[in-house]
Amino acid sequence: MELLQKISVTCFAASYLVVLGIELSRVFFQIGQRRYIRFGFAAAGLFAHTAFLGYHTQLSFDSQGIWLGSWFGWCLSGAWVLAAVYLWLSIRTPHSMIGMFLLPVTLLLIWFGQRFSDTLPFSPGRAKTVWNMIHGSALLLGTVVVALGFVFGIMYLIQSRRLKQKRSGSFPLPSLEWLNLWAERSLVGSTVLFCGGFASGIALKMVQQSNHSTPAPIPWSDPVIWTSAVLFLWLLTASIFGTFYKPARRGRKVAYVVTISFLFLLLELVIVWQVGHATDQQSPRTAAANCQIVQRRSNLQLRVQKRFSINALAGCQRSAHCEPGGRS
Amino acid sequence: MNLQVIGCSHHHSSVSVREKLAFTEDQVKTFLTKFHQSFPKSEAVLLSTCNRTEFYAAGSNAQGVPSSEQMVEFLADQRGLKTGEIANNLFAHQDQAAIAHLFNVAASLDSMVVGEAQILSQVKQAYQLAVDTGHKIPLTHHVFQTAMKVAKRVANETDIHTTRVSVPSVAINVLTKQIFERLDDKRILIIGAGKMAEETLTYIVANNGKDIVVTNRTRSRADDLAQKFKGQITDWEHLEQQLIDADLIVSTTGATQPIVTRQQFKNVAEKRREKALLILDLAIPRDFDSKIGDYESIYLYTLDDLQKECEKNRQSRQSQWPKAQKIVQQETTNFFQDLHRRNSGSTIALLKKQANEVKDAELERLLKRLDRLTPEQESEIEQSFHRLVNKLLHPPLKSINADQNESVGLLDAMKRLFQLGD
Repeated sequence: MELLQKISVTCFAASYLVVLGIELSRVFFQIGQRRYIRFGFAAAGLFAHTAFLGYHTQLSFDSQGIWLGSWFGWCLSGAWVLAAVYLWLSIRTPHSMIGMFLLPVTLLLIWFGQRFSDTLPFSPGRAKTVWNMIHGSALLLGTVVVALGFVFGIMYLIQSRRLKQKRSGSFPLPSLEWLNLWAERSLVGSTVLFCGGFASGIALKMVQQSNHSTPAPIPWSDPVIWTSAVLFLWLLTASIFGTFYKPARRGRKVAYVVTISFLFLLLELVIVWQVGHATDQQSPRTAAANCQIVQRRSNLQLRVQKRFSINALAGCQRSAHCEPGGRS
Repeated sequence: MNLQVIGCSHHHSSVSVREKLAFTEDQVKTFLTKFHQSFPKSEAVLLSTCNRTEFYAAGSNAQGVPSSEQMVEFLADQRGLKTGEIANNLFAHQDQAAIAHLFNVAASLDSMVVGEAQILSQVKQAYQLAVDTGHKIPLTHHVFQTAMKVAKRVANETDIHTTRVSVPSVAINVLTKQIFERLDDKRILIIGAGKMAEETLTYIVANNGKDIVVTNRTRSRADDLAQKFKGQITDWEHLEQQLIDADLIVSTTGATQPIVTRQQFKNVAEKRREKALLILDLAIPRDFDSKIGDYESIYLYTLDDLQKECEKNRQSRQSQWPKAQKIVQQETTNFFQDLHRRNSGSTIALLKKQANEVKDAELERLLKRLDRLTPEQESEIEQSFHRLVNKLLHPPLKSINADQNESVGLLDAMKRLFQLGD
C-alpha cells in the first residue's frame, strides 16, 4: 500500500512522455530494439496508471462510496483507456507511428485531469445511483472514442495529403483504408455512447425529480447540457447521413466529421471545467440559472397551492434550496 | 579455428561460370557427403544461389582443413570441370577475411540488390543442409549462427532492408499498402499484358490479390496473362465499367495517346461515389490523363513518380552502407575476441593444470623427506610452492591476455614450449 501511495501522476505521465519522445525520434534516426524500449515504457506507464487509478478509486469508494470520485478521476480513467488502446495498437501495427498522435491526446486528458484536481468531488447523492454510473461511464467512453476518432481522422488527412503530393513522408502511418474504417467506426461508436450518456442523463434527472415533490425541468440553459446535446445531435446527424449516403462515409469527409466532433468535445470539457458540472461547486451563473427555473416553478406552485388552499409553507421551504451555490 | 572460403559471385564471375558452379539441393547434399569422405576432419557448408556459389570449410587446426587449392580442385571435380576452367573466376578468403565475407553475405551487403532479404534465408538453408548430412559441424555452427545474428542486427539497426528498389516492388509492396489494408477483397484491373504487367502481377498475387481482371486490345495476350495468374478476362469495350468497379488499376499499354482522358473519367468518378482508387500508370507514354489525379479519392501514380521513389530508396540504402559495414566490422572483431577467449582459456587451463601437477608431485616428495613438521610449517611450505607457481606463470599469462591479436602466436608458442598438446 505504501508503494501505491508513492505512485503519482508524474510517474505515468513521464513514462508516456518518454514513449512520445521515442516515437518522435523515429522521424530522425534509427535505433535497434527501439520498439521494445517503447513498449516497455508504455507498459510501465500503463501499469503505474492502473495502480494509481486503482488506489485512488478505492480511496474514493471507501470515503464517498463512489467510483472515480471526481472529474480528476474521470479524466485519468479516459487517459487510461487511451493509453491501453495505444499499447494494443503498438503491438498490432508496430511500424506505424500512431503514438505520435495518440499520446498527445492522452497527455492532454491527463493535464486536463490535473486542472480538475482541486475541484470538489462528484455530488455524493447523485454519484451513487445506477443511472449516474451509466451516464458517467457512457460519456467517459464516448469521450475516449471521439478522441480516438480524431486521432484516426488526423492521420487519415496527413496520409491522404502525402499520397496526393506523392511524398513518402518521414514517418509511417497505417493505410488509408484502415484509418477510414476506424474513423467511421469511432463516429458510430461515439454516437451510440453519447446517446447512452444523454439518455441516462435525462433518466437521472427524472429520477431526481421523482424524489422531490417539486419537479424541475431539465436545465437546457446549462452550458454542459446544451453543448452535449449539440455534440450528440452532430454525431447522430453525421452517422445517419453516412448510413444513407455512402460518399459521406468515405475519404476525407469522415476525417473532417470526427475532427469537428473532437473540437466540440474540447469545448465541452472546457465548459465542464468552468462550471463544475455534477459537483457541488457550480459556477454562480449556472447555479443562478438553475435557481431561477426552480424559483419560477416554486412560485407557480405556491400560487396553485394558495388557490387550492394548501399550506403555503411547503413551497417556501422548497425555495430555500435555490440559493446561489446550492446543488440543483 | 581455421576457416577457408572459395567461391564465385556476380562481382567476379560471369553468368556462364556461375551457371556451371550452381548446385541443386540434392547436389549440395551429395557434395557435402563426398567432402566429408575426402576430408573427415573438416566441416563444410555450400551456399549456392543464382548470384553466388560459396564453399566454406573449417577445422580446429590448419592440418585438418583443405587448402584453397584443394578446395578449388574438389569443387571443379564435383562439377566435372577442370581446375583451370574456373580457378581465375574464384575468390578465396581465409580466417578473419572469410568470417567478414560471410557476415557481409548474410547481411545482404554483398548482394546484387543490396539489402534484399532473400539471401539470409538462403544462408540459413545452406547451413541446414550441412546439418542434415549428419556430420557434426560445431565450428561452422558457431560461425553461421553469428552470421545470422549479424544479419538481424544490420536489419534492425539500419534501413538497408526496409526500402524497395524496383518499380513493381515499390508500387505494390510500399504504395499499395499505404492505401489498402489488404488486397484479397479488392478488384484489380490490369490494362495491357506486357512484361511490366506480368511482373507487377507477381507482386500482387504474392500480396494475396485474388480478384484480378485483365483487359488488352489484343485478346490472346490478355488470355495468357489471365490464365497464368488465375484472373478473369474482359473485353476492351467494357473498360469504363471496369474502371468504375476497380480498386487498383495497373496500366501498361503501349498506346501512343492516353487511353483514359479526364473527360472520359468524369462519368467514372461520379459513379464511383468517392471510393478510393489507386492507379499505377506504368506506361510510357502515359495511359491516364494526369488531371485524373485531381479527383479527391483518386491516387494516380506514374512511372516517373515511382522511379523517383526507387531512386530515393537506392540512395537511402547507400547512405546506410557505412553504418552496416561498421556493424559487420564490429561483429567480426567481437567474434575473434570471443574465439580467442575460448582458445586461450583452454590453453591457460592446461598450463595451470600441468604446473599444479608438477608442484603437487614435488611438494609430496619434499614433505615425505622432511619429518617432524608441524601443521603450520607444512602449510607454510605449501603456500610457498603455490606462490612460486603463480609468480612463474603470471608473466606469460599476462602477455596472452594483453594483446589478443598478437597472442594467437603466443598461444601456439606456449603449447609447443610446455608441450601442452590440444
